[in-house]
Amino acid sequence: MGKIATKSTQVLLGLLGIIITVFPCEAYFNLPPLPTADKYGDVVMDQCATAQGQKAVVFSHWSHRTRFSCRVCHFELDFAFVAGQSDINEEDMLDGDFCGACHDGSQAFGVTKQNCEKCHTGNDIDRSKQFAQLQDKLWKLPQGQYGNNINWTLAQQQGLIDPKYSMFRPQEKPLAFAKALVLDAEWSWVSPAVFNHDTHTPWLDCANCHPSIFNIKKKTTKHFRMVYILEKKFCGVCHFAVSLPIDDCSACHPDMRKH
Amino acid sequence: MRSPVLRFCPVCQKRPLVLHKFLPKRRFGTMLYCVRLGRIKIFILATANHNAQPIIILIVETNMIRTALFIFLSLLITSQSFAFGEKVKRPKARDFGNVVINNYSEENKEFAVVFPHWLHRAKYSCRLCHVDIGFAMHAGDTDITEQDNNAGLFCGTCHNNKIAFGSVVNSKFHGKINQCDRCHSQGQNVTFKNSFREFRNTMPRERFGNGIDWMTAEEQGKIKLIDFLEEVSFPRKQMERQADFKLVATIEQMPKIIFSHEKHAKWNGCETCHPEIFPVKKGSQPYTMQQIFDGQFCGACHDKVAFPNIDCQRCHFDSVH
Repeated sequence: MGKIATKSTQVLLGLLGIIITVFPCEAYFNLPPLPTADKYGDVVMDQCATAQGQKAVVFSHWSHRTRFSCRVCHFELDFAFVAGQSDINEEDMLDGDFCGACHDGSQAFGVTKQNCEKCHTGNDIDRSKQFAQLQDKLWKLPQGQYGNNINWTLAQQQGLIDPKYSMFRPQEKPLAFAKALVLDAEWSWVSPAVFNHDTHTPWLDCANCHPSIFNIKKKTTKHFRMVYILEKKFCGVCHFAVSLPIDDCSACHPDMRKH
Repeated sequence: MRSPVLRFCPVCQKRPLVLHKFLPKRRFGTMLYCVRLGRIKIFILATANHNAQPIIILIVETNMIRTALFIFLSLLITSQSFAFGEKVKRPKARDFGNVVINNYSEENKEFAVVFPHWLHRAKYSCRLCHVDIGFAMHAGDTDITEQDNNAGLFCGTCHNNKIAFGSVVNSKFHGKINQCDRCHSQGQNVTFKNSFREFRNTMPRERFGNGIDWMTAEEQGKIKLIDFLEEVSFPRKQMERQADFKLVATIEQMPKIIFSHEKHAKWNGCETCHPEIFPVKKGSQPYTMQQIFDGQFCGACHDKVAFPNIDCQRCHFDSVH
């Protein structure tokens, strides 16, 4: 009897395991509230600053993406895609790695004692005045609906901004790879997602996404489902915190009605 | 039910709950680890390829149903708990190309060897070690023993106190000094004689790998690679080098690859690549980018030691337009 009981308990436990792992709850779609437009894409970097008596670095993505493509920092300079994963320290920067590649005193302000406060601002920094300049007379960037409320893709396509593609090889240009993929949704009432390579290539390198996030052979990427995107995987690596937020369903599922 | 795999694991029955090397399969740096938790045995098949997920197999010694259940659950665990859809962290510039050699070290209570490619490639060509001395292209494949080194093979070819430091140094004042930790250093806080930072700051910069543009460094005369060792290499005449040729990518719109024999043969000779990795007849062995990412063909060197595969446009640069 005892043996049977243990067996059935184990089977029940197994089933419970399946239910927990196979059907993640729908509460995933309760997306976290978006920050204000000037704070969208801000990253707090505090790997060793507070521990060494400095204020944390608050990095605003919008302040850099008018001049540099994502690729320059996240591909050529190897900044990680998760805050705190790059393992940056002052020594690295003085050697010309990470921030120090540009912030060397000639291309951009250097890592000197006078300049500490420019980056080590602490959490309560308010950059809304500088942010407002992006959409006023100075830049006139086109309106968007989510995130920074700026349509960055349109701004780049219209030539209002010219983000640098490479800081190591000026001759390098985005690949003319315009393949569009139609990705069928898992749920029958959701319209398919359309992925355009050519809106991504001016900003990103092939290797930003391939092969570690997405396999290069079509339909071989495992677990590419919306629930995982909502866990900041796949598209969610960028489209949660910095690029057009996931709240804009119809940006990827074009046939979906705006809510 | 007693699994046939278990007879290979006499060690773990003595050392429960300890993760230890169990059955090193030397090809492609694959390792099989075993943990014992009472009656459950967990086998973890991990590969050196950072893109591959480790495979977990749970085996219970006695009960069929439980074994089946655990295998099913272990498949679920494997599919859920390991990273996918995320960026893989690249090694730091100073760690790029480092190879851990652990064929016999830990078995003999030594720390594993960490071999820095950057330090050696600043002085020697690839083919000197990988052809003339006979080092394999996969970590652990060479199967080096201490006796080999003492007999002047493999590392011992140079590390003999004549060309480079040896394992034991006879000092006039201190007698015999063991230098084991200069190589057997994995996980140890060893201050090395050569600083990577200082070395890199004297070299032309590049964006990936070690952050050093090795080819330009050689062109500028900052490094001079030795390609010939007395009694190891044999003198040979340089062959006339084939002109650069194009390789067509299978995906439409993908730029062609331009392959330069001249750039490769200078450091590698012919034997590093032909005929094992690439047959000599052109087009007789088609290969895909996925195979290269998995460490085959170009991936035998690129991504491990030579510039990584993420540098797409360094090879794919002939535009279709």
